[in-house]
Amino acid sequence: MNLDELIATEELCERYSVEHTFIRSLNNSGLLEVITIEKREYVHCDKMAEFEKILRLHNDLEINLEGIEAIKHLLVKLSNLKEENMALRNRLGLYE
Amino acid sequence: MEFIDYYKTLELDKSATKADVKKAYRRLARKYHPDLNPDDDSSKKRFQQINEANEVLSDPEKRKKYDEYGKDWQHADHFEQQKQQRKSARGASGGYGGFGGQGQAYSGNFDNDNFSDFFEQMFGGGARSRGTGRSPQFKGQDFNAELQLNLSDVYTSHKQTLTVNGKNIRLTIPAGVENGQTIKIAGHGGPGAQGGPKGDLLITFKIVNNTKFKREKENLYSTVDLDFYTAILGGEITVDTFNGKVKLNIKPETQNATRVKLKGKGFPKYKKEGQFGDLFITYNIKVPTNLSSKEKELYTELQKLRS
Repeated sequence: MNLDELIATEELCERYSVEHTFIRSLNNSGLLEVITIEKREYVHCDKMAEFEKILRLHNDLEINLEGIEAIKHLLVKLSNLKEENMALRNRLGLYE
Repeated sequence: MEFIDYYKTLELDKSATKADVKKAYRRLARKYHPDLNPDDDSSKKRFQQINEANEVLSDPEKRKKYDEYGKDWQHADHFEQQKQQRKSARGASGGYGGFGGQGQAYSGNFDNDNFSDFFEQMFGGGARSRGTGRSPQFKGQDFNAELQLNLSDVYTSHKQTLTVNGKNIRLTIPAGVENGQTIKIAGHGGPGAQGGPKGDLLITFKIVNNTKFKREKENLYSTVDLDFYTAILGGEITVDTFNGKVKLNIKPETQNATRVKLKGKGFPKYKKEGQFGDLFITYNIKVPTNLSSKEKELYTELQKLRS
């Protein structure tokens, strides 16, 4: 794994003003993948958009982690349904 | 520019307490938050209105000014000036101190700065609160763009230059991209807040079919007219594929609407270089018309042979 693509969790805590326990809770609930290399914890940069989204839902809307988990699950379902809808629309074009 | 009824926006009446405002804001923000309504512009717009209403109604000073001037908001500054002059004349001290940031406006990567002209006019651009007082770095806003291409354009991968917010972006459009598909160009969105990373550019493709082929994912479909005699006796015909012509053997006694598959003659598979779908050809048998008396005679003979 390329270390340049990893962000240390301490840096995340500092930049986003969050407690380390928050990052740990996200990891425990499966919402954020934390990678440990030589006893140091990191988050991959590709996960940052997801992390920021979680942070917004948590801070702005006061949604707890269980709620965020449920939302995430539903958003994935929504996205799959949108894709399916688009594929069906494209298929419908065959009969028009 | 129209007056905006912030109470109506938050579905409150004028007697609402600060707790009521907070409660209404939370309730509506949870309903219209852009993170919960991806790709929904109407929710995003509604959320901005809710945010703006909360910005005003959750701040006692802003709310006071808003309540005091109501629909006369356009003259608010003028009234304010007169009030100050009267106060000065009476020897009262302390000027108008502007607005502090006490609201809890959303501070994410959406159009946070997109306050209405009404708000700007009444409270000025510097009147926005900055969330909860912390200043986290946030990724910039994602830009959405739609790119219309012809089906024939996406048969091969090609480079295209797009101009987004005055900047030229050269991107490779992979062969086989689908109608409605969105691709992400990382780092070409809006600038991040507080030094955060740039947002992404999301391009949704609208593919217009400019060909006689119908497409479903990587497979293509077409209908080919087949003359009656070739259908009965068999033979060879030449058909169009997406990238040229091919010869096809027609079996004797081919029925109308028979479908044949030309393997690998379909559309390129997305991001699978060198792999193609199939082309399905449906035969449409053309029955002869305007028969001569001789032809009628011969067909009648044929009919007798079959009965």
